[in-house]
Amino acid sequence: MDLSAFVPAFDEQVDNILFWLTDHAAFFFDGARVVLEGFYNGVLWLLNLPPFYVVAILAGLVAWRSVNLSFGIGTAIALACCAVMGLWPETMSTLALVIAASVIALAMSLPLGVLAGLMPRLERFLAPALDLIQTMPPYIYLLPSIALLGYGPATALVATVIVAMPPAIRLTSLGIRMTPNEFIELGEALGTNRVQAFFKIRLPFAVPSIMAGVNQSLMMAFGMVVIAGIVGSGGLGETIYGAIRTLNIARSIDASIAIVVLTMILDRMTQSMASSRQKMGE
Amino acid sequence: MTHKETAEVLIDCQSVWKVFGKRSAEAIKAITERGLGKQDVLKQYGCVIGVSNASLQVSRGEIFCIMGLSGSGKSTLIRLLNRLIEPSLGKVLVKGRDIGAMDAAALREIRARHIGMVFQSVALLPQRNVLENAAFGLEVQGVPRDQRNRTAEAALDKVGLSDWKLRYPSELSGGMQQRVGLARALASDPEIILMDEPFSALDPLIRRQLQDEFRQLTKELGKSAVFITHDLDEAIRIGDRIAIMKDGVIIQVGTAEEIVMNPADQYVADFVAGISRLHLVKAHSVMVPPGGWQGATQDLPRCSPEADIDALIGLIADTGSDAIRVEDDGNLVGIVTIRNLLSGVRGEPQARAA
Repeated sequence: MDLSAFVPAFDEQVDNILFWLTDHAAFFFDGARVVLEGFYNGVLWLLNLPPFYVVAILAGLVAWRSVNLSFGIGTAIALACCAVMGLWPETMSTLALVIAASVIALAMSLPLGVLAGLMPRLERFLAPALDLIQTMPPYIYLLPSIALLGYGPATALVATVIVAMPPAIRLTSLGIRMTPNEFIELGEALGTNRVQAFFKIRLPFAVPSIMAGVNQSLMMAFGMVVIAGIVGSGGLGETIYGAIRTLNIARSIDASIAIVVLTMILDRMTQSMASSRQKMGE
Repeated sequence: MTHKETAEVLIDCQSVWKVFGKRSAEAIKAITERGLGKQDVLKQYGCVIGVSNASLQVSRGEIFCIMGLSGSGKSTLIRLLNRLIEPSLGKVLVKGRDIGAMDAAALREIRARHIGMVFQSVALLPQRNVLENAAFGLEVQGVPRDQRNRTAEAALDKVGLSDWKLRYPSELSGGMQQRVGLARALASDPEIILMDEPFSALDPLIRRQLQDEFRQLTKELGKSAVFITHDLDEAIRIGDRIAIMKDGVIIQVGTAEEIVMNPADQYVADFVAGISRLHLVKAHSVMVPPGGWQGATQDLPRCSPEADIDALIGLIADTGSDAIRVEDDGNLVGIVTIRNLLSGVRGEPQARAA
């Protein structure tokens, strides 16, 4: 077989599959797009409901309760800075995208991780798939989604969900598998049934690891929403992308600062949730 | 001893085997049909014999100790008694019911209500406080919160931890943690408590204290216990009867006195060599028939056949007499001389010394 003929033939098949999907499964992808954008718009609407200072103060209070006072004050000031830089709508739209993507990703990956933790066979099957997802450059996920879902937040959402899922699945599964053996034996000796053994023994031991997975998922989602600016995600990602194209360096730095602020706030908050659970477990 | 024979047998373990390994079914067949030994089983089938042909009976109210060094199969044996480990061959009857034939629900029921277990690692759930840990067994059984907390509080009272209810396991010392483990087992009010080396990780002083408390509590509550230990002193302090295990085989079963006075083989003899006889050997084991004493017996100090050598030595030292008159219900049954006492201290029964 002529090797030079192979590549065009392969590409043509890929195109054909995508065309076939857009022709025959359009109702499905249109439906998916409506649902995803609806979810994203709902979150965004909620975030935009109060004025920026209310959001900043509320976030500061949560940060105070979950971390400490100085972090709480820092959080409020940093968020206010985002508004002062004139990036409040973009910041909220990025936050909405991250929240929507993380919720969808966790809703799928936590149950999957639990199942993988309980069933070594599923784990063996999942591991190479997760490896593949994590080693591919994240841009890859934008392309098929843009072909099927079109330009806009739905595509950004799908690509972000794909990237955010692996760490949560892995760490949830790990946490479930790491139950100390003596406690599994204790459960058996006390006559627990399977449901009790899971919820009263395995799950409490897995919580710190699961929370670490949630934290990692959020961080992956932040990384991806910036990249997703290319496909019209809106928000800070698109601001940065646009600023780079017009060489507006100052603007791109403003937007980067806003992203760092959001990332740090959510990272510290979820981390402290994970470690406060862990402290009890020591 | 007669009352024990009539007491109800709660655990009846009949010729139980446990062989570990992928080819355990073939191995067990070879053992029973061809009498294959431990080494050959390992060589030919790659299987390890955990417990080999073990039989034992535990009566109501009895504390039964299983003593053996690590790798002797004692931890495997105790897990066969509540089927945490499935036997390869043989039967275990708990309260007359074959637990090997039970379905999952019946097995859960008997583990939850009739067989408590205490582990060497204690296994207190770190996310729960002491009270919640003590009530965990009842929680699993679906007992309402108020009721299970009351029962767990009562159990914590019994082990002397009522002031620590709201603390977390990490705040407790090792000895206290093990008391919580015991309270958790007692809270379900089981007839049988399996103790898997519960005190082995504790320091010697605390260990002795817990041993005494455990024996007293078990007797007070009328529980039966199977107690695993690698420490013969502990077995003697706690056990009504002791089984000595080596390489998965129960070598000897008997009271502490029987084992010390008549070791079944050299292994047991070496083991008991260092044990003090003072409190173990009783007058009836060292006495000689009354005819063996030349002098008058009426004026000799008196003791019962169950008096131990320590008490007899005290009696001789206090009275200055050369012999003691052993009486059962006021009748003269034997005489213990100073010579008899001395051989008793060395662990020689009178039959052999005479």
